[in-house]
Amino acid sequence: MSKSITSSRWWMPLFSLALGLIMFGAFAIGGSVGDGVFAFGVMAVLAGVFAIGATRSETLGWLGGPGRDERWAMIDLRASAAAGLVLILAVIGAWLYEIANGRDGSPYGQLGAVAGVAYVIAVAVLRWRS
Amino acid sequence: MRNEIRSLRAAHELSQQQLGEAMGVSRQTINSIEKERYTPSLPLAIALARYFERTVEEIFHVEVDH
Repeated sequence: MSKSITSSRWWMPLFSLALGLIMFGAFAIGGSVGDGVFAFGVMAVLAGVFAIGATRSETLGWLGGPGRDERWAMIDLRASAAAGLVLILAVIGAWLYEIANGRDGSPYGQLGAVAGVAYVIAVAVLRWRS
Repeated sequence: MRNEIRSLRAAHELSQQQLGEAMGVSRQTINSIEKERYTPSLPLAIALARYFERTVEEIFHVEVDH
């Protein structure tokens, strides 16, 4: 029931714009200024959707910042776990596809290893703290 | 979990929005609690009980199989 900076209605719009600027910078460093402008534009549109939609939609309000409470925290946790599970399954699938085609499975093997180690460390830390 | 939030809120002539603001949660969260789709945290359950001047057990009913 506590308020934080992420509860501000401007949190996600500003975060989206900041991420867009970082993406633009990365593309610019790589010599693709046009792609950077496009990426920033997409993130700017997303920022606008969050800024305007947060007051009209519970889901956008949650994603954007305002309206977050303990029920949001529970849904956020479960949604994050579901997204992580899908990502891990996709990585494992891609890794199996790569090795079945005679390649070494990079970088999916390494990504899967990172996910596995991160999970074990998270379980150990959370168990220690609870 | 069964609860008496809807009847208590009606008895106090409160809207879901007003109760949500008093508890620091969204209107939708109050709605979910009333529909028994969401079980509130212990702090929120205690806050609701104090707000309606009841005990937690009087508001929330846990069905235990013996």
